[in-house]
Amino acid sequence: MNNVDAAPPLLAVENLSKSFGGVHALRSGSFKLNRGEVVAIVGANGAGKSTLIKVIAGAHVPDGGRIVINGSEIPRTEHSVSHMREKGIEVVYQDLALVPNMTAPYNLFLGRIPKKWGIFVDQRKMRKKTREVLDTLNVTTVQDLSQPISSMSGGQQQSIAIGRAIAWGKEIVILDEPTAALGPNETAEVERIVEEVRDRHGTSFILISHNLDQVRRLADRIIVTHHGVTSREFAREEVTSDRLVRAITLGE
Amino acid sequence: MANATKLRSLVTPKQMERLRDYVPFIAIGLVILLFWMISGDRFMSVRNWTFIAQQTPVLMLLAFAQLIVITTGSIDISVGSNLAFSAFVAALGMLWFGEFGLILGVFAGGLVGIANGLIISVLKIPSFVTTLAMLIIMRAVVIIVSDGTSIYITGGNISGGTNISSVSAPWLLSLGQFPAIFIIAAVVAVFMWVFYEKTAFGQQLRAVGGNEKVLRLVGTNVTLFKIKVFAAAGLMVGLAACVNLARAGAATPQAGLMIELDAIAAVALGGTPLTGGYGSVVRTIIGALTLTVVRNGLTIAGVPPSWSQVALGVLLIAAIAISLNRSKVDVVK
Ligand SMILES: Nc1ncnc2c1ncn2[C@@H]1O[C@H](COP(=O)(O)OP(=O)(O)OP(=O)(O)O)[C@@H](O)[C@H]1O
Ligand SMILES: [Mg+2]
Repeated sequence: MNNVDAAPPLLAVENLSKSFGGVHALRSGSFKLNRGEVVAIVGANGAGKSTLIKVIAGAHVPDGGRIVINGSEIPRTEHSVSHMREKGIEVVYQDLALVPNMTAPYNLFLGRIPKKWGIFVDQRKMRKKTREVLDTLNVTTVQDLSQPISSMSGGQQQSIAIGRAIAWGKEIVILDEPTAALGPNETAEVERIVEEVRDRHGTSFILISHNLDQVRRLADRIIVTHHGVTSREFAREEVTSDRLVRAITLGE
Repeated sequence: MANATKLRSLVTPKQMERLRDYVPFIAIGLVILLFWMISGDRFMSVRNWTFIAQQTPVLMLLAFAQLIVITTGSIDISVGSNLAFSAFVAALGMLWFGEFGLILGVFAGGLVGIANGLIISVLKIPSFVTTLAMLIIMRAVVIIVSDGTSIYITGGNISGGTNISSVSAPWLLSLGQFPAIFIIAAVVAVFMWVFYEKTAFGQQLRAVGGNEKVLRLVGTNVTLFKIKVFAAAGLMVGLAACVNLARAGAATPQAGLMIELDAIAAVALGGTPLTGGYGSVVRTIIGALTLTVVRNGLTIAGVPPSWSQVALGVLLIAAIAISLNRSKVDVVK
């Protein structure tokens, strides 16, 4: 190893592609993400943004391309959600990916339910951690942790989804349109959380958003996807909203 | 109209929800009162309730099997045929290997369950169709294997009659009588409650019923889980088959004919939505008991069997219509 080299980026994806039947959802996705950085992905509806992050999250196995985390490539045979979770990558999906009939603690621990004696659900541990997470997010409106989350408001459900990603996403938290369904106050709150978590824990974020002002507020770099290709990249300082709109709509 | 709004404002939605939870309990209370009024001591006798306590366990165990599957949003209509098949395997097991051969009946039920689970989750054929096919196949298998005859459990060594297949197992027959069968049912019910309410597996049943896609998205192996679900249900059917063997004293090719419908009805009477995601062991027990009591009460009251069936159907619709929270249902299929 040549230790004169700079440290490799936390995440590097190269020429990722994914088709569904005849639909080339993602033709070529490439970008890098450094530690503590916020990278935004913008693009028109259907441009392949969600597909790109689902591949990175392990939910889809890519048809081609490479994913390199901390300098080591993820072998295709190990490409799975569980593996990416182990690597510290968590996602807040566009539709939140919550189970409506289950409680907030259950949703927070989805896929990693703590057990007592190997078979029983450790309710106490789940509740304790849920309280902690909601506290760090400054969410005070969720009181009754025994209710199914379908009885909660959209904003509260959003906090559970974000809380889950932040609680477990030690390295990278991916947010797929996290504020699309929220009002201005809740949007500001989510943005505050992103900045705070980044500053405090050095977590990296990938943010998908159609809100260009928000993107320019939060992101260090902005990746434009056009027809399934990550066609352009801009630094926050160098770009105007008009320039972004041109890149998104025309791909130029 | 005005009355309805008044009633609405008197009971808060939360209390209304509570009330719905009690519908199965209220229903069975009313049913018992009704039959007591109609038939008096002929219904409310120790002898009759001993009979009910003997009739309910098999249905209850089958309802448990059904509850496990229904909570995930699937359905298992093969339980009746599986019951007959497993009982046969249990009887054959005893014939060939002695008393411990009975346990083969439980495993046979589990195997049928695994077959169901594999077909559903690997071939992706809906549970209704898969278990319908299994219902037909297993019933046919039982008839082929049994050659149309029964295997009897006897209390002593019978002499002669060599063309009758029989196993001498007085202990099994006594397990099928009142105190023993009731105790077995109670013990299984307690285990089922712990399994369903407290274990991670039990919670995951509800989660899969709530949103299976999301579980896949967070890396849960839902395919494997579903196989386990049907295996668990199958084991429960196998257990029910052994209990039925003890109670009926014979493995017959017709055993459990149409009982899958009773099992589903018992779960529904317990207020469990067939769409999955929710369920309760206690209320499923109440559902099985209600079904048994109504059938028994109608018979004692002298209602012809066909009319009893009509009454049961009406009861089923009424109970679900009352316990359903329509504000939570957006699509009815
Ligand atoms: N599982 C799937 N099966 C089939 N087609 C899919 C699937 N997922 C995505 N697609 C298709 O791939 C294309 C890209 O979809 P994707 O969800 O990645 O777009 P997006 O950029 O996230 O759009 P939006 O801004 O609307 O969320 C679309 O044409 C979509 O219909
Ligand atoms: Mg999307």
